[in-house]
Amino acid sequence: MDRRGFVKLCAGSAALAMASWDQAVLAAGFEAFPPAKLTNKIGIPLKAAEIPVGEALVFAYPVAGVPCFLINLGERASKADAAMKNEDGDYAWSGGVGPNGRIVAFVAICTHQMSYPQPEVSYLRYAASGSELAGAPGRIVCCAHASVFDPAEGAKVVSGPATMPLLPIRLVYDPVSDELVADGIMGMSYIKRYFKTYKADLNARFGAGGYRQEVGAKSACVPLSQYSGVVPAC
Amino acid sequence: MSENSSRRNFLKMSGAVAAAGATGALGMAAPVQAKAMPTGKMMAALPKAKGPRLVVVGGGTSGLTIAKYAKKEYPKFDVVLVEKRDMYSSCFSSNMWYAGVINLEFLADHSFMDAAVNNGYVYFNATVTGLDRHSRTLETNEGDIHYDFLVLAPGISYDYEKIGVKDVEVMTALRQTYPGGFISPTEHVTLHRKIREFEGGVFLQTVPSGNYRCLPGPYERACLLASTFKKNKVKGKVLVLDANPEITIKKEGFHAAFNDLYKGYLEWLPSKAVMGVDVEKKVVKTEFDEFKFDDAAIYANVRGSTLIEQLGLMAPASKSNQKEANIDTRYYNIVGDPHVYVTGDSRPHPYSKSANTSNTEGHYMAKVLAARAQGKEIPWVSPRTICYSMVNANPLEAISVDAGYDYSAEKDAITGFSKDTKTFENRDGAKGQATLEWARGMYRDMFDA
Repeated sequence: MDRRGFVKLCAGSAALAMASWDQAVLAAGFEAFPPAKLTNKIGIPLKAAEIPVGEALVFAYPVAGVPCFLINLGERASKADAAMKNEDGDYAWSGGVGPNGRIVAFVAICTHQMSYPQPEVSYLRYAASGSELAGAPGRIVCCAHASVFDPAEGAKVVSGPATMPLLPIRLVYDPVSDELVADGIMGMSYIKRYFKTYKADLNARFGAGGYRQEVGAKSACVPLSQYSGVVPAC
Repeated sequence: MSENSSRRNFLKMSGAVAAAGATGALGMAAPVQAKAMPTGKMMAALPKAKGPRLVVVGGGTSGLTIAKYAKKEYPKFDVVLVEKRDMYSSCFSSNMWYAGVINLEFLADHSFMDAAVNNGYVYFNATVTGLDRHSRTLETNEGDIHYDFLVLAPGISYDYEKIGVKDVEVMTALRQTYPGGFISPTEHVTLHRKIREFEGGVFLQTVPSGNYRCLPGPYERACLLASTFKKNKVKGKVLVLDANPEITIKKEGFHAAFNDLYKGYLEWLPSKAVMGVDVEKKVVKTEFDEFKFDDAAIYANVRGSTLIEQLGLMAPASKSNQKEANIDTRYYNIVGDPHVYVTGDSRPHPYSKSANTSNTEGHYMAKVLAARAQGKEIPWVSPRTICYSMVNANPLEAISVDAGYDYSAEKDAITGFSKDTKTFENRDGAKGQATLEWARGMYRDMFDA
């Protein structure tokens, strides 16, 4: 979907929303957005080799108000899955990218009741070394209602009340430069509801409508522990 | 309010309707000299139903969840939420307000209107006055509403007789002087004032017997008050008189908090069922003792909402000793009536009467209603009780439980907690933070699209 289409969708064009819903009932797919190079905090392209294994990095994509986790699975191999399912329909998740396919990215908004990382606090985190709720190392955990997702398996639900995987972000890896680009997202209907739910908060944080602005050619990745003041280790 | 007086008031309130329905669904024997207007004939000012009409009574956790998700599950439903309040404020999470962890906006900045607009239903601000199940008509002070499906989610009422308070004058004084704080927002406001005004002595918190609303609630409140008194160096203590022989849920976590954090600020006494209250002298009586207090939150036993009794939908004593609804164990319809359902805390099930229970039950009930509107049935699914208790306000620390329930087809009853039930009783800051977000998630699930 191009910029105009996205803006229309966000503006609440019922016809468009309906069309997109109808198409999606059959199969969910990635929607392409202008590619954004993933960088470090100061705008220098991030090398896959620099991505830490201990915690998630947070970057915005495709628009300022959508936080995503960039995760290095470390020793765990990602497992592609052709039979994934979310509220828009069936889809295939093709696994991670980069050396040994260990780099994955998902929208960091819990699919249960929409907890997401904010400057003050994040109830959603990648618990690399496990936690009370996680049950095993390397899971994404939401403190709010104990949903657990496995990033190595397309962020499928492992336990808890969530009923669909975290929304996937499409990454493209360049083995020559060891750099990454995000260029697609799945599940814009969910993002649209998230915008509606948090509109007042998002306007306060990004300026009126700022959360809908595309991130541009670059998006900075920040460790979750720096992105959010408090990260409860549930 | 005694049973008799409550019945009489209700008759007055519903006037001629009750007279007309005296032998009908209302099941009331006493005839009424009806001087009242011929109610029951005025229709509510609502648009004509555009599909099967689902009327949901009660805008608490259960009703709000069902109104939203029934429409999502079956968009043909024409959903009307009837709620007598014109301002929402949640009972869940209210304990945290007393300790200054949250403000009133956290509980109350949620609009019934927005919930309705966001989710394609109608919020109708009215009080139920009667029900005629033969003509499928719900009667309200704003006129009648015909329904295809009716869900009653009116919550709980207090049963003061069970704590030995039978005299209606004492009951009335007690109810408004030392409210339990487990039903209405105005109780919370009163308790909030009491705690800020407390200058020392004994602050009494009683815990009733039976399946009362929010099993850990009174213990959590005791912790948060003790935490507040300790921080503010108030020379007082919280006295917890518990009708039960042991803390009813998360006992290890609560005992640890009592012992580690609140020595001298909190005293917990088991097996002290209140058997009478002298409101004037500020004394409660138990079987062998009397306890003097300076201020109090006296939590009487809990029963199904008086509305359930008034509408003639109460289960026999053999099925519920708390005057709860006479409903099917799995599908919540009034026994023999597939058009009328009772959900939330007026259910007779041994579930914890908590917001998370009502919310997850509501998700399931939305599916049941959608299926039945299409002539189908779905398998039973257990509700889930994820329940945090903030045991420390300074700093924030909480404990939690995540429970499910088992159903026995043989007994047609809920037989206990499911195997995957877990408790997290080591208090920590992570769960303290999670307690806040748990509540925000509930609000989002009920009010947002």
